[in-house]
Amino acid sequence: MIDQQLAEFSSLLIVITIVLYVLALIGFTADLAGTTARRSDARLAAREAKEAREPVGVAASGATDSASVDTTGAHTGVGGTDAPVAGSGGQDPAADLGAAGGVPAQGMSAQRFAFLIAGAGTALHLGGVILRALATQRVPWTNMYEFAITSAALVMAAFLVFSIKRHDLRALGTFVVGPILLLLFIAQRFWIVPAAELTPSLQNSHWLVIHIGVAILATALSILGAVVAVMQLLQARHERALVEKVAAGEERPEHWGRFGHVLDRLPSSSVLEGLSFRIHSVGFVCWTFTLIFGAIWARDAWGRYWNWDPKEVWTFVIWVIYAAYLHARATGGFRGSRAAWLALAGFVAVVFNYTIVNTVINGLHSYSGL
Amino acid sequence: MSSSRPSRASRRPRPAAPALGLRGTLLFLWRQLTSMQTALILLMLLAIAAIPGSLYPQRNVNPGLTDQYLQENGRWGEILDSLGFFEVFSSPWFSAIYLLLFISLIGCIVPRVGVHLKQLRSTPPRTPAKLTRFTGYTRQELPGADADALLDRAHAALRRSRYRTERLQERASRSITAERGLLRESGNLLFHIALVGVLVCVAAGHLTGYRGQITVVEGSGFSNSLTQYDSFEPGAWFDTSELPEFRFTLEQFRAAYDEEPTSPNVGQPLSFEADVQVTTAGQEPFAQTLEVNKPLHVPGASMYLLGNGYAPEVTLRDPEGTVVAEGPVITVPTGDTGYTSQLVIKAPDARPEQTAVVGYFLPSGVIDEQGPHSVFPDLWNPMLVVSVHHGDLGLDEGVPRNVYEVDVSQLEQLTGQDGSPVLISLEPGQQIDLPDGSSLSFDGVRRYAAFDVAHNPFEPWLLGFALASVAGLILSLFVPRRRMWVRVTEADGAAVLEVAGLARSQDPALADDVASLAQRLSSSIDHHDGPEGPQPAQSSTAPTTGGRPS
Repeated sequence: MIDQQLAEFSSLLIVITIVLYVLALIGFTADLAGTTARRSDARLAAREAKEAREPVGVAASGATDSASVDTTGAHTGVGGTDAPVAGSGGQDPAADLGAAGGVPAQGMSAQRFAFLIAGAGTALHLGGVILRALATQRVPWTNMYEFAITSAALVMAAFLVFSIKRHDLRALGTFVVGPILLLLFIAQRFWIVPAAELTPSLQNSHWLVIHIGVAILATALSILGAVVAVMQLLQARHERALVEKVAAGEERPEHWGRFGHVLDRLPSSSVLEGLSFRIHSVGFVCWTFTLIFGAIWARDAWGRYWNWDPKEVWTFVIWVIYAAYLHARATGGFRGSRAAWLALAGFVAVVFNYTIVNTVINGLHSYSGL
Repeated sequence: MSSSRPSRASRRPRPAAPALGLRGTLLFLWRQLTSMQTALILLMLLAIAAIPGSLYPQRNVNPGLTDQYLQENGRWGEILDSLGFFEVFSSPWFSAIYLLLFISLIGCIVPRVGVHLKQLRSTPPRTPAKLTRFTGYTRQELPGADADALLDRAHAALRRSRYRTERLQERASRSITAERGLLRESGNLLFHIALVGVLVCVAAGHLTGYRGQITVVEGSGFSNSLTQYDSFEPGAWFDTSELPEFRFTLEQFRAAYDEEPTSPNVGQPLSFEADVQVTTAGQEPFAQTLEVNKPLHVPGASMYLLGNGYAPEVTLRDPEGTVVAEGPVITVPTGDTGYTSQLVIKAPDARPEQTAVVGYFLPSGVIDEQGPHSVFPDLWNPMLVVSVHHGDLGLDEGVPRNVYEVDVSQLEQLTGQDGSPVLISLEPGQQIDLPDGSSLSFDGVRRYAAFDVAHNPFEPWLLGFALASVAGLILSLFVPRRRMWVRVTEADGAAVLEVAGLARSQDPALADDVASLAQRLSSSIDHHDGPEGPQPAQSSTAPTTGGRPS
């Protein structure tokens, strides 16, 4: 029944995927570093132009624009540094940002390279997941390893789909591919188990497809949401610091050096906050469904819809924390950064539920196969 | 919950405690309790308070593990126990948190329901005097345009998009105020009310339901009465005389295991199936196969296959030749992959002394240098490995004893002529005569199945409320709530059209929708070819309450 050869081939695909993701990570990081270099060039050009007391050049105007944007504190600053260089009319900021990733017209920019490699990696990744499903003749999420590779594939696919059109999101590549790479590596190194038949408790139930499917979706959204929330927190702090420096009279505020330049290119903290909220709201709905479907299945399998099994306790904890996040967002004094911390607390609970509860704490949900 | 005002009392230092009076104090406490901050804190407390429930063994989930923990941890265990750490989810502190949370929720929801109902019946609020600071503000001068036609079109377009609208006659202009997305608040209220419903159903289910564990050996039957249960937990309001009538016979129990020697999961169970013949009141007897995930439902009861094991059939005769124990003996699996199972036979009627047979049943027994053990869970080479003990079994003291355990330290083990303890190993069909004149025969092996029988009349309601709460949640998160205004001012034979919107929630599409409405309205006017034509649109980028930077 189990095709071990196919399962091994699937595992090989995942290993190749990891290699491709490493390349993509290098590309995305190089792209971010490149931004910094270009920004320095623009500043240099601006200074020279000023010194020469000549009409301000195109690049220089770009740089001054960015500085003036920063001073407003609104910080739309997404690529304010070089967008005008490449952008023609400024009608579509997203397109400008994408173009900003690659300066020369010929040759491939680091970001484009990274995006393509990540795409190829994700294709192989999905292939590996599908082969695992074919090898075992069932959904590829019945143990920790399968759950991890499937949810990682989902995160990557979601990221790629989102950023096909919105080029500005590609700048987040490093922060998505990085954690996914870590997850895949841990799965491939520590959690991998041979493809096996299902234990009776996982058989005869379409809830295996539904309950775990929704849980994977919820987990993937939590990962994505946490990435965005971290960026939001960093960006908010960065923006505050820039505003303070401007208030202190600095003409060209600098904060956090090269990393600050990277942040300058990312969407503003309020845009990230909105994105984080949208991801987390869908995620919260998915967690709610995970709980309800789990309860229905538990009733069929164990005769009780809720038994305070460790996995149930932690999913409950996750649900409550994300509920607190949604409430915090609507509460004066908690909006913005404080709410983002709650979202991250929820993510910590997700990680705990997935790692410690699966491997250390014994319960009815012991399907890790470890 | 209600959007909160930061409580003034806590923010501003009070010069001297103002005399609130009892009523004032209560009102103050109530306001505090129903504020959003309090709800937030209670939510976080609830999450934190649940955690010990996953870290310490819980008495209602796993009593054996709890006792073990208590024994191993002495004083510390006692302290934890007195604080309720082994019954977290029924402990006073956990209950206090969720009860306060629900009181806070109700206190917050009830006034909001009133406000919302009023809002549903009222007309949208008046158009603000100055629209310039709102989202997507667009102003167009349309020379020669008919103001009435413009307003009619705007009205029709907004109605089509399911806005609630109101036409207003203002001092120098006319306007339409429109609102959409009240469903968002309806959903939010539904979510919270349904959560209260969930809690009520959980409590009601606990009070009116029951649950019991039974063990049935192949070939024997069960009829639903209290005496037949190994354990039984009725809800406080459950009348045990109301146990529904049903009977069944376990015809056969089948277990399949992975037998592939090269498989990494050799010995893992592949399937458990219990064939039962069921008789219920007022129904024809019927046959059904129970599996994990495939329970049996009869009116008033559901039965779930939760466990299984082996029941070797043995016959024990005392030295006088009397049969003192006979039939299948339920053994308790020790939890290894070979399904080694513990066996205890108590024969209080044996003469001259009470007798206990203690040992193991091995489904695939092997005796090597490791001693006797089982290598596979299926019946490849069934074997009994037991020792015999004599003495007072302590059954006459009236203290309830676990039938699956016996304390052999107070008993005397049967020894051979050389004085060494006798260890008996038997295969099915074998009989052994012991040195003291008694005999033990191993007649065969049957399997047994363990079932939970349970009923909770509130489960359908619970599911209904849970689904209603998700439906409310989805509405409250994804329906945008917004206002939209169209104002037309007539001046010098031209109509000045102004359109703007206000997001009352996360609403990224609002600016686009305002722009497209303005576009449609202005392009629908067949303008007379004026010298200048329509003025180019002016857009404002005022920040919105929705937090979307334009």
